[in-house]
Amino acid sequence: MNVRPSAIVLALALTTSAWVASVGFVPELLSSRASAADAVAASLPTRPEQIAFDPLAFDPPAAKDFRHVLPDGTVVYLAESHEFPLIDLSITFKGGSSLDSAEIPGLASMTARMIREGGTKNLSPETFDEQLDFLATQASVSAGGTFSTASMNCLKKTFDESLALFLEMLREPAFDAERLATTKARQIAQLEQRNDDASDILGREWRQLLFGAEHFEGSLPTLASVEAITPERLSAMHKQIFHPGNMIVSVSGDFDSTEMLATLEKAFANWERGEPVADPPVPDHTLTPGVYHVPKDIPQGKVAIGMRSITRDDPDAIALDVLNDILGGGGFTSRIMRSVRSNEGLAYSASSRLSPRVDYPGEFRAGFESKNPTVALATKIILQQIADVRNELVTEEELETAKQSLIETFPRVFESKPQMLSVFVSDEWTNRPEGFWQTYRNRVQAVTAEDVQRVARKHLDPAKMAILVVGNWEEVAKGDLDGRATMADFFGGEVTHLPLRDPLTLEPVE
Amino acid sequence: MQSVIQKRMVSAGTAMASMRACRVLLCAGVLGLLAAFPASGQQVEVEEFTLDNGMQFLLVPRSDQPNVVSAGWVARVGSVNERPGITGISHFFEHMMFKGTDTIGTRNPERDAAYRAEQKRLRDAINELVWTEQYERFRRGEINDPWDPANDTADLRRLRTQLADLIRAQQGRSAAEAIADVQRKLAALEEGSAEAKPLMEQLESLQKQQAEAATIVKDEFDQVYTKAGGSGMNAFTSYDLTCYFITVPSNKLELWAWMESDRLDDSVFREFYSERDVVHEERRLRTESTPTGRFQEQFDSLFWVSSGYSWPVIGWPSDLNSYTFDQALEYWNTYYRPGNLFGVLVGDFDPEEAKPLIERYFSRLDPGTNKPAPVVTLEVEQLAEKRMNATGDVPPSVEIRYHTVPAGHADSYALDMLAEILNGRTGRLYKGLVEGRGIAAGARASSDTRHYAGLFSVSGQARGEADPDALEQAWYEELARLQTEDIPERELEKVKNGVAADSYRSLESNMSLLIQLAFYETLVDWREINETPKKYDTVTAADIRRVANTYFKPTNRSVATYRREQ
Repeated sequence: MNVRPSAIVLALALTTSAWVASVGFVPELLSSRASAADAVAASLPTRPEQIAFDPLAFDPPAAKDFRHVLPDGTVVYLAESHEFPLIDLSITFKGGSSLDSAEIPGLASMTARMIREGGTKNLSPETFDEQLDFLATQASVSAGGTFSTASMNCLKKTFDESLALFLEMLREPAFDAERLATTKARQIAQLEQRNDDASDILGREWRQLLFGAEHFEGSLPTLASVEAITPERLSAMHKQIFHPGNMIVSVSGDFDSTEMLATLEKAFANWERGEPVADPPVPDHTLTPGVYHVPKDIPQGKVAIGMRSITRDDPDAIALDVLNDILGGGGFTSRIMRSVRSNEGLAYSASSRLSPRVDYPGEFRAGFESKNPTVALATKIILQQIADVRNELVTEEELETAKQSLIETFPRVFESKPQMLSVFVSDEWTNRPEGFWQTYRNRVQAVTAEDVQRVARKHLDPAKMAILVVGNWEEVAKGDLDGRATMADFFGGEVTHLPLRDPLTLEPVE
Repeated sequence: MQSVIQKRMVSAGTAMASMRACRVLLCAGVLGLLAAFPASGQQVEVEEFTLDNGMQFLLVPRSDQPNVVSAGWVARVGSVNERPGITGISHFFEHMMFKGTDTIGTRNPERDAAYRAEQKRLRDAINELVWTEQYERFRRGEINDPWDPANDTADLRRLRTQLADLIRAQQGRSAAEAIADVQRKLAALEEGSAEAKPLMEQLESLQKQQAEAATIVKDEFDQVYTKAGGSGMNAFTSYDLTCYFITVPSNKLELWAWMESDRLDDSVFREFYSERDVVHEERRLRTESTPTGRFQEQFDSLFWVSSGYSWPVIGWPSDLNSYTFDQALEYWNTYYRPGNLFGVLVGDFDPEEAKPLIERYFSRLDPGTNKPAPVVTLEVEQLAEKRMNATGDVPPSVEIRYHTVPAGHADSYALDMLAEILNGRTGRLYKGLVEGRGIAAGARASSDTRHYAGLFSVSGQARGEADPDALEQAWYEELARLQTEDIPERELEKVKNGVAADSYRSLESNMSLLIQLAFYETLVDWREINETPKKYDTVTAADIRRVANTYFKPTNRSVATYRREQ
């Protein structure tokens, strides 16, 4: 081994010789190198299976080792890490879009956004932003479906100042009228783009097919709902979500835990403590199986195939996870990717995903994108793959690969400190059963091919699925050049043509 | 990687139409966004060594994230090394590298090689016919696309069918349709029917015949890693480099060395012909089915005149169909030899154990005899403003671009800082265009410095009744201020604080550090990761004013406007 010669100085004039300079190529040595290389190769294992690995012991961390409770009852998770002079603080609040009324979908999201953008009782939005940026502190507030999050990341040396600004923002947002007008105008500009990208159309129509337009998972803001947002409505939503009675805190980074607890206790003092918000509403919509289509003139159809599925704590969850890994969740080793992309070259991405929900059954969704004429063929192949896992046992080799992958990558669940804490916070909020992670690998190991088939039969049924296509229907319906499949092959050729909808009102457009 | 970029960019408002989220095909320069360290900050300690065959390695042991190592290697080749006729071949190689060797991906290397030789013969014959007869018919206006199978002549159709049959046989799907047919008949029978037995026998014979023909073990490369706990396996191709990476458990480092040195030693370009369909779908996905993809591609080609940056990384469609096995082999022997490669390891490992392991496995690579040809064509000087006015299903927006300097150029640091001054919630674009004039939904700037040349881009999306022209004019007004007034001291300090803090943030993830080292080492030198922060810290208000005057001249700009089709 020799150390590489000194660095190349890079400038335009030198680029022509950069490669030669960097490697120091000596042609006369080549022939001897080649034979030396052959000798080396001869001593190596001929197959990867011949390599012996040292065991890697990993015990999942236990939440209780990181959990603290402040005197006021606020739960705080702490994890020190001193590699970089940074501190990352995150507060998770229960409730998000789940609290939106039917009249104003998107209110929780806008509330979160305006807490961050609208200034505080004492600081104008501009001053607030300038102060935070000067400290090089990042702050963000966002509302998801069932939880909202406020996060702050700062240098250790600016923690006290940053925390003061961050909590002032969370506790006393001003919802500045001028900023609200700007933010609304920006959101409307975003709504206007709703039909530009076919993937966006696919996503929103899919959620409505599964959860209905009334439920928060399917409902969408319109021009009218954005315009109906007022500082008073933002205030009311803020009051409901963002208080200590409804939050769990996590902090990771370069600090001392004892000091941090004292700092937080002081910082949260006199913050009015309300009640935790209610659990999210359960959707009362039922999916009507069949083929659906939305028109969009693009060379490639975008497709989703699936149905409602299980809750997170369903006893079949782990077996279904293994099944999904084999079927379409495991990348190149999964059947959908192999058959649609690798064997047939019909798509760049083709996969399936299982997304359980905590409070009500979630969804199973397979999908791909393919040139319009081969949409039907790829759909047929995926439905066949689903039928196959119902009708026949998966092979031992597939089962072993899927299980090993879940087991071997398990430590990555807890890889970084912020990630580990977010698992603990989420588990506490959602009452994840005790010992879930400690027994996880054993339960994966116990899954059999018969289990996989049983859960496939129970939870995946092509006859109960929807097939949603966004694309040029004339080309899609005809099918491929070789006549291997057309859209008439599914649900007796019946199709529900959904209209493209006005991006601002969501009313059908002709 | 993406998240690191977004962290810094998120406050600039709505992501511009011009920002394409590319996972595998990384098109944007990253140095300006990821770089930087405070002058007093900690250094990235890299252990560097080079094998006798010329392959260089960068090792960064760190233990804050226990049990995992992010591991990767880079080929110093990208689309800039291509030429018309083979555009996109660098990216196509990225796909080929996952298709196996004589050991991985086949149960019978000899018979598999015979399949490949026959496929090559057929495809060369197809290409010859298309390039001559079909291109001639196309020139005469008889057909609209020489490559579309719908326009095939009888000869072409026969060859294409033969090729497809061979591919299916190699994959073990030669009898797939016949088998499905028998299975359907079986399923339709009543239980205990006398017809079942002959059908079962027929089925078994078909399956046996099919299995005997097959030589491929599909996606075995992926399967070996998956089973061993590898995750996030992927690769990307950029203008200047191609990078392959994965995260493995710490105890599987030897597996990584085995797998990567095997594919560098012995890739056989299996599925060379069928994989093109996948790349065409990738092109449809990324370029042709996105609101601005094809416009962006044309704007790139309008912007660059003589430079190799003028064609898309994914390649022109006709070239995707055209490149031959022989061209690929030459590319391989030139750019995928150890003297043109380097490896990077970041994570929980002991360098004293890793080094002998690396030496043991990667020394098997033959240095080869082809030297990569230097890229000699320089971009010619731009003489006049260029414009592209596009309409379509696109948000109304504008992008203004200027030719600047390559990565590592003395002016690149001031240009990076200038982009930071423009970006963010307190940046000049947000204050001037989004808030002040109230004409933009979002706006951002980026300094994209590559190995051979660079560009600076300002883009914005209009809101309300505002026209893209108004955004363009507003930028010129902001620019005039930058050219005539020094940046106030506090504003410069704010940006320097942000850049310094971001430098730590960008190092937190192993994979992010790996990818930064990949870019630094290819574009300049890996030591830049420690030098750049100091250079940012010395940028003055006068430097910024000077580069704003030097590069942002009307004759050096290209402008794209996008308007919604009414």
